[in-house]
Amino acid sequence: MHIPDGFLSTPVWAAMNLAAAPSVAYLARRAQREIEESRIPALGVMGAFVFAAQMINFPVGLGTSGHLLGSALLAVTLGPAAASIVMTAILVVQALVFQDGGVLALGANVFNMAVAGVAAAYLPYRLWSSGKLRNPAIFLGAFLSVLAGAVLAVAELLLSGVRMGQTVLGVSFGLFLVTAVLEGVITVAVIRSLEAMRPNWVRAPDSSGRLVLGALAGAAILLAVVGVLVASADPDGLERLAGGAGIAARARNLFTTPLAGYELRGFGAEWLGKAAAGLAGLVAIAATTLALGKLIARRRGA
Amino acid sequence: MHHVVIDRWSRGASPIHAREPRTKLVALAVFLISVATTPGVSPLAGAGYLGVLIAGIALSRLPLGGVLARAAVVLPFSAAFAALNWLAGDPGRAVALVAKSYLSAAAVLLVVATTPLEQFARAMESLGTPRLIALVVQFLYRYLFVVSEQAQHMRVAAACRAPRVPGAGGGLRFRAAAGAVGVLFARSYARAEGIHRAMLARGFEGRFPAVALARPRLPDFLFLLLAAALSLAVRIGVGSA
Repeated sequence: MHIPDGFLSTPVWAAMNLAAAPSVAYLARRAQREIEESRIPALGVMGAFVFAAQMINFPVGLGTSGHLLGSALLAVTLGPAAASIVMTAILVVQALVFQDGGVLALGANVFNMAVAGVAAAYLPYRLWSSGKLRNPAIFLGAFLSVLAGAVLAVAELLLSGVRMGQTVLGVSFGLFLVTAVLEGVITVAVIRSLEAMRPNWVRAPDSSGRLVLGALAGAAILLAVVGVLVASADPDGLERLAGGAGIAARARNLFTTPLAGYELRGFGAEWLGKAAAGLAGLVAIAATTLALGKLIARRRGA
Repeated sequence: MHHVVIDRWSRGASPIHAREPRTKLVALAVFLISVATTPGVSPLAGAGYLGVLIAGIALSRLPLGGVLARAAVVLPFSAAFAALNWLAGDPGRAVALVAKSYLSAAAVLLVVATTPLEQFARAMESLGTPRLIALVVQFLYRYLFVVSEQAQHMRVAAACRAPRVPGAGGGLRFRAAAGAVGVLFARSYARAEGIHRAMLARGFEGRFPAVALARPRLPDFLFLLLAAALSLAVRIGVGSA
C-alpha cells in the first residue's frame, strides 16, 4: 500500500522521514561495501525487473489474479542491503513518475516496504537458510514482508487520525493476509523455476552480520505485531498503551509547547498526545536498531 | 503509455524547464509542506494552491488538461478513504484527503514533467540522497521500458504458443507464470552483465564520474523565491484567517 501525500499528519510524515533517512543511508553504505561498483547497473536492472514482473499475472482462482511484489525475491537473490536499495529506488520512481505514493510520504513508504519489509523478508531465511526448512523460510519471509509493510502503513494512517472503522480494518486485514500468502506462494514458485535453470541464483546468507540483521528484522516484526495489536483493538488502545507508560502526558507537553497555536491547531491536544506517543515509540525503536547495527558493524570491522 | 508521455514532456522547452533542477526540487518541497500543514478545510486555500499550480503549468507550456487529468490517478485511492471518513462522521477530513493528495500529486507531476529524470536524480544526490540510490534510480528508469517491453513480448509469445488449453488447470497456469517470471529474472540478470561489459568496452574504469550540475543563476533563485513566496502566502494567509 503506497501512502499518497495529504494522508499523514505532519508529525507522522516528518518522523517517518527522520526514521527512514538514516536507515537508508546506513543500508546504502552497507550495500556499497558488499557489492562491487560494477554491479550498480545490475541493481537498476533488477528494479526494472520487479516493475516488469508485476505485469505477469498469476491465476489465483475465482477469476482473479495476483502478481509478485518482490521484496523477498530480491532479498534472497541480491542480499538484504542491496534489496532495500532496489526497493527504495522502485518507490522513488513510483512516487515521481507514476504518482503512486507521495513525496513527503516517501519516508513512510520506504520505511514500511524497503526497510521493515525487506528486513522481515530476510529474517526467516537468515535463520533457516539450509536444509528442508529453506523454502518454508522463504515463504514465511515473503508473507511477513507484505504483512509488516501493510500493518505499518495502517498504523501510520491511524496515528494520523484517518478513520477506519472496525469492519474496514477487519476486511483490510483479511485482504493483507491473502496478499501475504499469495506473495509467499509466488515467491517460492519463482525461486523453484529459477533454480531449475541455474542452481546458484539464491545467495547463501553471509555468516557475519547475523546480529545486525536479526536486530533490524526483529524490530520490524515487533513493530508489525504492535501495529496489529493497536489496529485490531481500537485507535484508543494506543492512548491506553501510552498512558500506562506515562509517555502520553510528557509527549503531549513536548509536542504542544513549541508548536502551540501553529500548524497543529486544527487537531485536539488529545489526538496530538496519542500521535506523539506512538511516534516516539516508532522513532525510538528505529533509532535503537540503527545504533545497535552500527555498533555491531563497527565491532565486526575492527 | 503514461510514463513515456512524462518523459517526452520533460524534454520540452519553457521557462520552467530551463530552471536549475535543485531550485525546482526545493520549490516543490516548500509547496508540498505548505499543502500538508494547511489546517482544516479551506476552499480559499485549495483555490490558492490550485492557482499557483495552474500558473506553473501555464508557464511550463504543458497541456493543462493533460497534467490535471494525469494527477487524477491518486483519486480512486483517496476517494475510497474519503468515503470511509465521511461515513465515520468526519466530512472535513474526507475533503482534505482528496484535495491535499490531488494538489500534491499535481505539483510532483509538474516538476517531474519539466525535469528529465536523470537531472532530477542528480539534484537529489547533490541535496543529500546517497549516491548509490541516485544511481540505481537512474539505471532503473533507463531500463524500465526495456524490461517491461520484454515482459510484454513474453506475454504475447506465451499467448500465441499456448492459448487457453481447455484442460489446463489453474495449477499449471500458475507454474507457467512462475516460469515466466523466472525467465524474465534470468534475462534481466544477463542483460545487466551485458551492460557492464559494454561499459567496460567504452572505457569505464570502475568508478562513475561525478557529473556536476550547473550552478543556479539569478533567474533560478527568482523562480524559487516566487514559488516559495506564493505557496507560503497561501499557507500563512489561510493560517491567520
